Amino acid sequence: MKSDEQLMLEYQGGSPHAFEQLFERYRNPVYGFFRRRLNNASRAEELAQETFVVILRDTEQYKPTARFRTYMYAIALKQLWSERRKEIRDGKLAAAVLHEERPQGDPETGLWVRAALEQLDPDHREVLMLREYEQLSYDEIAEVLAVPVNTVRSRLSRARVELKSLLESQSARGVSR
Amino acid sequence: MSRKEHPVWEEELMPYVDGQLDAAQASEIEKHLKECEECAAVIADARLLSKQMGTWVVENSPRGMDEHVLSEMEKKKGRRQQWAWWSRNRSWAFGLGGAFAAVALMVVLMPSHKDDLSNHFGDASRSVAGQINPAPLQRPAMPQDGNQQGQQGQQGQQGQQGQQTLDSLLAKTLPAAQSQPTAEAPSGPMIIRNARLSILTKEFEAARARIQAIVQQTQGYLDQLTVRGETGSGKSLSATLRLPSSQLESGLVELRKLGKVLEESQGSSDVTSQYVDLQARLTNARNTEQRLLALQRERTDKLTDVVGVEREIARVREEIERMEAQRKDVFNKTQFATIQVELSEEYRAEIQPSAPSAGTQLHNALVDGYHGALNSLLALALFFLRYGPALLLWAIVLVPVALLLRRRLQGLRIG
Repeated sequence: MKSDEQLMLEYQGGSPHAFEQLFERYRNPVYGFFRRRLNNASRAEELAQETFVVILRDTEQYKPTARFRTYMYAIALKQLWSERRKEIRDGKLAAAVLHEERPQGDPETGLWVRAALEQLDPDHREVLMLREYEQLSYDEIAEVLAVPVNTVRSRLSRARVELKSLLESQSARGVSR
Repeated sequence: MSRKEHPVWEEELMPYVDGQLDAAQASEIEKHLKECEECAAVIADARLLSKQMGTWVVENSPRGMDEHVLSEMEKKKGRRQQWAWWSRNRSWAFGLGGAFAAVALMVVLMPSHKDDLSNHFGDASRSVAGQINPAPLQRPAMPQDGNQQGQQGQQGQQGQQGQQTLDSLLAKTLPAAQSQPTAEAPSGPMIIRNARLSILTKEFEAARARIQAIVQQTQGYLDQLTVRGETGSGKSLSATLRLPSSQLESGLVELRKLGKVLEESQGSSDVTSQYVDLQARLTNARNTEQRLLALQRERTDKLTDVVGVEREIARVREEIERMEAQRKDVFNKTQFATIQVELSEEYRAEIQPSAPSAGTQLHNALVDGYHGALNSLLALALFFLRYGPALLLWAIVLVPVALLLRRRLQGLRIG
């Protein structure tokens, strides 16, 4: 199987099939990235589309020295931050709470996890989510967030401790009910 | 938990859980885990947490995503094909364009050329001066493209404005959902043009003045000028003129009238792809700068992190300024054609002044004789001073020997 970087270079060289493969490879991960971070499924779809469109438009900007995943998630994060700023401006963020349809998988635990993640410090949460859901390495997270690797390491550790405690307290409340 | 009891901290256990350690580090932690139940529990908790997080599963991406992305890909493909067509047929397009331009130029210049033949040089220059307002001989303000106008003020005052500039940039760019300054693509091919003329003239000073007049009339500037004049040969001038590209042809026409054209050459180089590439890299760097500015604004990390972001912003800005300067340079080169002029004067030997009078010659001879006598006396004195002691020494040694030999010879004769 060709690496992402090889496919991107092939696409730069004029092979549309290479980008189709990349799109197929990352359409669900990128959609999942936005879906877990936004409460609006249609907006998540739009931003996932936009991320691929930005990659397409700026194909020439991509240099093979950068890992494609890092490049792609850096674009996705930029879209996300932009969306959040817009939400803050429009006053939507305050109203955005855990709601909507129940998540797939184990609904009960899934909801708990989601609720607990919402309560984490945003910086800690982002590092944890990039690690657990996007499966980025420490180096890749550091590159995407433009922070040192040691910061990633400490944030991840603190995020896990905080999340564990939040899940335990939620679990205790659930049992008591 | 002390360092002695736990050679690894909890924070150091996380890379182990995430498989981010090399084999040696991992085996060291494994060894510790066999002995330490507390750390083993931390590992187990982290793994359980990871499993719990895995229960939050989101649905697959909707199929509607394909349509938008693939249509964008088709558009891009179309643009690429257009560019490929341009790359393949560029030389033909330039050739045909050049031919049309040459025909158009001939049609435009034909009547004025006839006039020129019937007029003197000065008349012709007046006709040109009438068409173009004379401008002072100074480097004119460079033309500004879209991006330059957008960057006005930011470039020169960056060092002073510091944080203000940063904040204003932030305020300007962040509200936009797509905070990407769009790079302006050149509307057509970008060509740097240059020409070289070697001219022989009888009226050197007039020709020199005329060159400066041509530069003024075309609103160009004189990049460099060197004049040489040696006895026994004519004067020569070497000048580099920068004329607006649109004025290159008219400028050449005027320069050819300065005298006999010994050599003429013209050339051009296409810098479209270089400019587009520079523009694209500049856009990318600006996007990076915006990302960093957003990070700087939103993050409240440790001081070292903030300093790191600021250092990175400074680096990216330096890169942007460098590329912006390169882009301006390329742009300016396309706006101003370069003409290298070599002007030589037709040399006419001048009659030498008359020889000096007989009295002057006698006086000169007397002075020369006096100097010669003094010099020979001085040379003699120097000789004796330099070699006298050595001669005296040899005389002391050799004279007694000579006397002795002489007596012996006399004794032999008597005997």
